[in-house]
Amino acid sequence: MFERFNPSPEALTPFLFFTGKGGVGKTSTACATAISLADQGKNVLLVSTDPASNLQDVLEFNVQRDPKAVPAVEGLYACNIDPEEAARMYREKMVGPYRGVLPDDAVASMEEQLSGACTVEIAAFDEFTTLLVDTSVTSQYDHILFDTAPTGHTLRLLQLPTAWSSYLTSSTHGASCLGPLSGLQEKKTAYSESMKALSDPEKTQLMLVTRPESSAIAEAQRAANELLEIGMVNQHLIINGWLEALKTDDAVAKAFYNRQQDAVSKIDENSSKSISILPFVSHSLTGIESLRTWFSLQQEELGLQNETPSLPAPVHSIDDYVDSLIAKNQRVIMTMGKGGVGKTSMAASIAAKLSEKGHSVHLTTTDPADHLSGVVANAANLHVSSIDPKKEVERYTNQVLTEAAELSDSEREYLEEDLRSPCTEEIAVFQAFASIVAQSVHDFVVIDTAPTGHTLLLLDAAQSYHKEVERMNGQKTPDSIKQLLPTLRDPLQTSIAIVTLAEATPVLEASRLQEDLKRARIVPSWWLINQSLFAADSKEPVLANRATEEIKWIDTVQRKLANETVLIPWHI
Amino acid sequence: MSSITIFDPAMCCSTGVCGPSVDPELTRIASALHKLEAEGVEVKRYNLANDPAEFVQNEQVKELLKTEGADALPFVFFNGHLQTTGDYPSNQELATYFSIDPQQLETKKPKLKIDLKSI
Repeated sequence: MFERFNPSPEALTPFLFFTGKGGVGKTSTACATAISLADQGKNVLLVSTDPASNLQDVLEFNVQRDPKAVPAVEGLYACNIDPEEAARMYREKMVGPYRGVLPDDAVASMEEQLSGACTVEIAAFDEFTTLLVDTSVTSQYDHILFDTAPTGHTLRLLQLPTAWSSYLTSSTHGASCLGPLSGLQEKKTAYSESMKALSDPEKTQLMLVTRPESSAIAEAQRAANELLEIGMVNQHLIINGWLEALKTDDAVAKAFYNRQQDAVSKIDENSSKSISILPFVSHSLTGIESLRTWFSLQQEELGLQNETPSLPAPVHSIDDYVDSLIAKNQRVIMTMGKGGVGKTSMAASIAAKLSEKGHSVHLTTTDPADHLSGVVANAANLHVSSIDPKKEVERYTNQVLTEAAELSDSEREYLEEDLRSPCTEEIAVFQAFASIVAQSVHDFVVIDTAPTGHTLLLLDAAQSYHKEVERMNGQKTPDSIKQLLPTLRDPLQTSIAIVTLAEATPVLEASRLQEDLKRARIVPSWWLINQSLFAADSKEPVLANRATEEIKWIDTVQRKLANETVLIPWHI
Repeated sequence: MSSITIFDPAMCCSTGVCGPSVDPELTRIASALHKLEAEGVEVKRYNLANDPAEFVQNEQVKELLKTEGADALPFVFFNGHLQTTGDYPSNQELATYFSIDPQQLETKKPKLKIDLKSI
């Protein structure tokens, strides 16, 4: 019913953005497209803008900040915009020359101010702009492909040109909260040019990658609409993981197949987007050769498996995890991991089980693309809420303006101007997050955090806030904020569950997330392996082969990464 | 022409809305400076996080930073002479020095909304 995705260079614009919920195969699709274009004689640059990039896992090549030729593919270059790294370099550029010139405490205070969320966001955006408008870069390539961050973060990144540009236009007192990037005014032209490039259908095409599942397709649709609003009109939908025909009447395979048919039947056929598919494969899509053959792959010829392989070590059920939470009285529970691995449904399932056992539970999400509503039914002792960035900004703005009630009109005006800065969102969301964690005094609090990149930024904000709080102890700071980091770090109060799938990319990314958390002295203990085909025990060859592939990743999690491992079977 | 030059501590934004809570003092001084500027006073503000070069080029500031430390910021200069350290000048101080009507810098209190006849 849909064409295979196998684009010719003529059909593609110079800039290509691959976006979609995490775990849908966005990076694999972007890499395979890049390889295909390069194989057809084009010069191609592949860029990851994900704070937790996994380009190196898929390409099996050490991707750096500067474009480097990918060995084995003539004409293909790759680089990685790491926001943390970009911010660090910006900070070093600003601070470096003054080390030893200004006193140490002055240098330290500069560094502190330049470690905030604003700096990270802006420094990353700045690099992104260079790739869009700097002709010395763009003239070298026929196509530049962006393997973008998970949806929520992408939206903010892509909306930044609009936000900053209108902010600069309406700024009457000169830059104030533009502090972290003092050179911003000079860059106004570059920013408005990137907006122009993004909204030109001849220059930029948006590739929305999704799985054949209703929730993933709905999310892709939401992202598409929001990006349409900022003018990205040239959009294409790619449905990845398409199961073409079944060979058995296995119940899991049928459910898998029916869910796929059901999901695509709901796609709005009147939408102007073109749609294509990519086939489900049982092997992992990493390495140049498997990516190169993917677009033209025929349905795999796989034999039936006779023996069921077994796991090297026993695993827990989700009930074991919930019992452990109750026994240890850990009242703050955060599910973390790569986007699309099912953090939301895990959080909902944990919250539901806690409430069934008679505990009072508050379930909430900080995911900018909110998909918690509809996952759980409200029980009397289960309260569900979400942190909506837009509403939080509104609340924060009102709160600040109310506290500033005695100000004169021009002072208010000045304050309102700073509140219009995009940095305000980080602060507002952060405050809401802190106040929900503080509720654990009364309830169990289960938080479905945002996809990895955003989560890291959020926690980093928590950390720099913590320093700020210590520094500015003369000022009134809500207890919820003072208590946040100590609470998250205390294993007697908090349990961090890493959610992953038994696949290469989610496991590797989750292990990097765990390392980052440990650096912030937050130590996860339980790993929840979600949607396991192995645990579902399917006999359909393509699914059974994928199940066998899962074993080494389950084993890796058990032996190297987790203290305790939960395995959850694939289900609809 | 009269001038005021302020060397601020390292800040993200000069109103402090990017901090854990808003410092009304920062808003007051930002607003007062804005009005002074409208009255023809030359206003210069340097933030340690963004304009460190200014802190190095000015020998007096560089020396102050060395002896007093970054905690002693802000340094405030009126017509090139050091006026205060550690605090921003009050509106009264600004009005007296630059000979303008203090009312113009003063904070307007919110007007009473109670209609006296209704009491």
